[in-house]
Amino acid sequence: MFVARSIAADHKDLIHDVSYDFHGRRMATCSSDQSVKVWDKSENGEWHCTASWKTHSGSVWRVTWAHPEFGQVLASCSFDRTAAVWEEIVGESNDKQRGLSHWIKRTTLVDSRTSVTDVKFAPKHMGLMLTTCSADGVVRIYEAPDVMNLSQWSLQHEISCKLSCSCISWNPSSSRAHPPMFAVGSDDSNVTYGGKVQIYEYNENTRKYAKAETLMTVTDAVHDIAFAPNLGRSFHVLAIATKDVRIFKLVPMRKESTSTGPTKFEVQIVAQFDNHNSQVWRVSWNITSTLLASSGDDGCVRLWKANYMDNWKCTGILKGDGSPLSGSSGQPTAMSTVVGSSVHTSQNALNGMSAGRVGKRAPFAPPVRQLTSSKIYQHSAYY
Amino acid sequence: MSGSKPDILWSPHHPDRYVICDSELGLYRIGPVGSAETKAGTLPLSEETAATLLAINSDTPYMKCVAWYPKHEPECLLAVGQANGRVVLTSLGQSHNSACKELVGKEFVPKHARQCNTLAWNPVDSNLLAAGLDKHRADFSVLIWDISSKFSPETSVAADKIRLSSVDLDSSTVVTKPLYELGQNDACLSLCWLLRDPKLLLAGMHRNLAIFDLRNTSQKTFVNTKAIQGVTVDPHFHDRVASFFEGQVAIWDLRKFEKPVLTLTEQPKPLTKVAWCPTRTGLLATLTRDSNIIRLYDMQHTPTPIGDETEPTIIERSVQPCESQIGSFAWHPSSQNRMVVVSAANRVMTDFTVFERISLAWSSTTSLMWACGRHLYDCVEDGAEGVESMIEKDIATKMRQRAQSRYGHDTVQVWRNHLLAGGNDPQLKSLWYDLSYILFDDDVEEMPAQRDAVYLGITIIEKDMECWSGSDRQTDVPRYLSEERCLALRLCGWISRGPDIDVEIFLRTLEQEREWERAAAVALFNLDIRRAIQILNKGATAEKGDLNLNVVAMALSGYTDEKSSLWREMCSSLRLQLKNPYLCVMFAFLTSEPGAYDGVLYESSVAVRDRVAFACMFLSDAQLPRYIDKLTNEMKEAGNLEGILLTGLTKDGVDLMESYVDRTGDVQTASFCMLKGSPGDVLKDPRVQCWIENYRNLLDAWRFWHKRAEFDIHRGKLDPSSKPLAQVFVSCNFCGKSISYSCSAMPHQGRGFSQYGVSGSPTKSKVTSCPGCRKPLPRCALCLMNMGTPVSNCPGTGKSDEKVDLTRENKLAQFNNWFTWCHNCRHGGHAGHMLSWFRDHTECPVSACTCKCMQLDTTGNLVPSDSS
Repeated sequence: MFVARSIAADHKDLIHDVSYDFHGRRMATCSSDQSVKVWDKSENGEWHCTASWKTHSGSVWRVTWAHPEFGQVLASCSFDRTAAVWEEIVGESNDKQRGLSHWIKRTTLVDSRTSVTDVKFAPKHMGLMLTTCSADGVVRIYEAPDVMNLSQWSLQHEISCKLSCSCISWNPSSSRAHPPMFAVGSDDSNVTYGGKVQIYEYNENTRKYAKAETLMTVTDAVHDIAFAPNLGRSFHVLAIATKDVRIFKLVPMRKESTSTGPTKFEVQIVAQFDNHNSQVWRVSWNITSTLLASSGDDGCVRLWKANYMDNWKCTGILKGDGSPLSGSSGQPTAMSTVVGSSVHTSQNALNGMSAGRVGKRAPFAPPVRQLTSSKIYQHSAYY
Repeated sequence: MSGSKPDILWSPHHPDRYVICDSELGLYRIGPVGSAETKAGTLPLSEETAATLLAINSDTPYMKCVAWYPKHEPECLLAVGQANGRVVLTSLGQSHNSACKELVGKEFVPKHARQCNTLAWNPVDSNLLAAGLDKHRADFSVLIWDISSKFSPETSVAADKIRLSSVDLDSSTVVTKPLYELGQNDACLSLCWLLRDPKLLLAGMHRNLAIFDLRNTSQKTFVNTKAIQGVTVDPHFHDRVASFFEGQVAIWDLRKFEKPVLTLTEQPKPLTKVAWCPTRTGLLATLTRDSNIIRLYDMQHTPTPIGDETEPTIIERSVQPCESQIGSFAWHPSSQNRMVVVSAANRVMTDFTVFERISLAWSSTTSLMWACGRHLYDCVEDGAEGVESMIEKDIATKMRQRAQSRYGHDTVQVWRNHLLAGGNDPQLKSLWYDLSYILFDDDVEEMPAQRDAVYLGITIIEKDMECWSGSDRQTDVPRYLSEERCLALRLCGWISRGPDIDVEIFLRTLEQEREWERAAAVALFNLDIRRAIQILNKGATAEKGDLNLNVVAMALSGYTDEKSSLWREMCSSLRLQLKNPYLCVMFAFLTSEPGAYDGVLYESSVAVRDRVAFACMFLSDAQLPRYIDKLTNEMKEAGNLEGILLTGLTKDGVDLMESYVDRTGDVQTASFCMLKGSPGDVLKDPRVQCWIENYRNLLDAWRFWHKRAEFDIHRGKLDPSSKPLAQVFVSCNFCGKSISYSCSAMPHQGRGFSQYGVSGSPTKSKVTSCPGCRKPLPRCALCLMNMGTPVSNCPGTGKSDEKVDLTRENKLAQFNNWFTWCHNCRHGGHAGHMLSWFRDHTECPVSACTCKCMQLDTTGNLVPSDSS
């Protein structure tokens, strides 16, 4: 179903993040070698590195694209306690022919006292806003009031999360029914500190972000977090990479018009998978939030998909080095006993077995068998 | 090391062999599972690998520590340190080797017996074996033995010569005189030779770390510390050393030996092993007692830990290679990030690879990119491979395909949209048929007052129900008829327009579609058993027909009214075993009491439209609304698009669609479907607006810009309020008025100007000037003509590769006349001229302007992916 091919990345050290632009034609990677590379996809589908430059004086943890409506803009964050905003400019006349582009630093955000662990642009409809989170547990929201001048960023909000932050994700919903909202995860491994995922929501009246929810059931270190593209759904879906893959559903409760507090959510856990064994490092949603990819300590990339009954199951496993998976299961034998989570135990066992193949039809009542098809003739009389 | 605690050593030369030592030594060979499977006695280590026991050596009791001889020859020589301080050379297998023979069994005995804590072979001068012993009064605790020396201390000369001269096999194999004695009056807990200089030995003494130099044994460099256990040199960075004490690891830099460059976070339990990864720089693995977790510290990013104030970066992570508690582990010497782990009890072994953390991202076009280590992998969904994969295809892929097949755009034959969607989704099929019935019912057109009802669906119609007439045709089953019920039947597609209920056309089309069971059921519901039987017979005899249908027909023909007949009894019990839902409901209908048709009405596998039609015929005015309400709520809850028949494009329909979108994410269908709803009511719903915005955003992300534009046009037709205003106004340089000829853009001049536009007035031809002040428009930067003059073919571009076909050229010619300008430098001219200029140039054609007009916009250079 999926085929992987290798690209010569030519980074001199571990790559920490990969990020696509809005159209999926450009890509940025960042690495411990302190550089960021920008890749462009040619018409034949090949990726070419068109820019590579030293961005920070430490490992670069994350890189992210702004919406193209704001220009070709990247943000990066690093162990060197800074985040930076980069913009592509039209360089020397022959640069384009040589397939190179030129990026210049527009600003360095130096407010953090510790390693900046994640950087994300807010959804487009909020304007050009950038969020960082850092190991000292502070989330900072910057805004570029003038989108033509990317060197000016003002620190709008500083939110202390009390716990060392590792990742942040904006709720991408542009619906007016949903106020701006983001989730922040902590990699603090001390279980006694409680929930490691906090959700903050913007309050129109106070003009501040207030904590709307803490996912108390997630007590282990969280390595990545991702809101699913909302796509007009009435609820939000959040994927969390902790010691397992978890998918939460946040259903906004009907709000009384008088209440001014943050939205109350009904939090449901819809899936929990420990197939990765031990830690899960990253989660990523596809554009319709119907496919989730995760990577973990088993060195595999797993694809998850829900059926009509909202039952999530594994539809594919790919080895991290792109090689096909031998054997039907992606786990070491010693690991297959680990299976068994609180939610979908039997389902997990099934995943272990059917993994790697095209998923079988899910065990639920099939949809209605036959429908009208005949009226073509009869109906065409009307036209 | 306690006696029973196992340890692992990889062979320095054979990448597939290792030794486990606990109470005895066991040599294992590791291999792929497939090849070893047939052999008995192999132990699975992982999915792919298994180990075979090659040899066991239990000659040396009281083992405390083991070290593997680092040179190739003899290859399987091991030094074993014992509880009494003796060091014994032993071997596993291959003892026939002569070079080995003379060494095996040799014993090195210290003056005073005490525990031997550690052993270390010199990596260069491999005759030297260092042993670290417990303290014994003022005795030395670090002894360096020369393995080639004989028992008599006199003969211990230079190592090279010894090998040639050692022929005396009969001599006792006990050596008592060490080559060097170090660390007087102290205890030695760990040892390692420094890689930067093989004459230097680092020893973890009682309360300090000491570096002994064999060239000058009287001197030592030392630093007082508690962290003296498990000293080990980073194989990739020879000045970096790790040692530990209790739960804390200290990292030292030998060039700055005064204090540790860093200490790692303390573990609650004491550490038992610390090892540098031999295949990756700066990766340190640690193990604590009674744990099944190995912690990894990645110090990769500090090649020079000396750095002034820069704190080294450490990424900490833990891996869990197996379920049981780990006794020990050993990195594989050459395989990347691989280790073998042995459990604390029972010698359970696991082959384990530590994977790099993979970061990943989906692109908008459903391709997945991930980074593993320093490599990137691009993963694309493989294109069409049969029906099976079509079912499994993700909605994102489906929507892309449907967008390209112009799904939703057929406004004349609305039902055809389900074919454009691929024609294999029963819900979409039902939806588009419903919409085409609802939107194009003639009666509704005849009654303009009811025009609004088009969007309403059956629920509303049912509520209007006033009159009914029971009719009795040859049976006692009461059937209900009214104008509204007829309309409902028509919406269900059972009957065509006309005063009487005639399902014959419908039956015939069903027969053509080979839906025999359904046709039979419909016939039966119209109380025509004979026709039903006839249909079933036809179905049985038809090509590839199901002969069982004959049996069903037979059963049908036995229908009897008798309440207590055997037929009735059998039918009601056996019908549940019928697989086809229509056959099932036929018998349910025949065996039910009039008015109690739950067996038919709640058979969820039967199409909603058939159930509704059935209900309209057989349920009373009291029952019918109740049933319809219930069914509607069920459909709304499930987000079943068949329910659109019931709700129509009303608020209820939006509710239903909301659950459908929640479930599937198919905003495409939702957008197109709701666009057909009434603009005032449904389209204003924020949810509908949200779906439409999301769908447009999807199209944009896919670079289906043409499709998005088409969608906007389509939307504009159905929802005039969505039409955007003019985007650009160009004002005259002199008078400041808009130079547009369109009257709508010039509200003041209104009608007069439009006359001026269309009439053949002489001013019309003067398009090269501003309509307001008649001053000339700016000139094209290339042809230097005033804008508004038709473009002449530029001679410079008459290249051979521009043999465009005529129609296309004509289309382009119009476009060539357009105004165009760079928003950056404000220079411009005829679009055609500018385009051809930038084919060969990067800078603006205006002299002294260095603007790179064409490269300014990266998105502008992207090609729409849906252009033909």
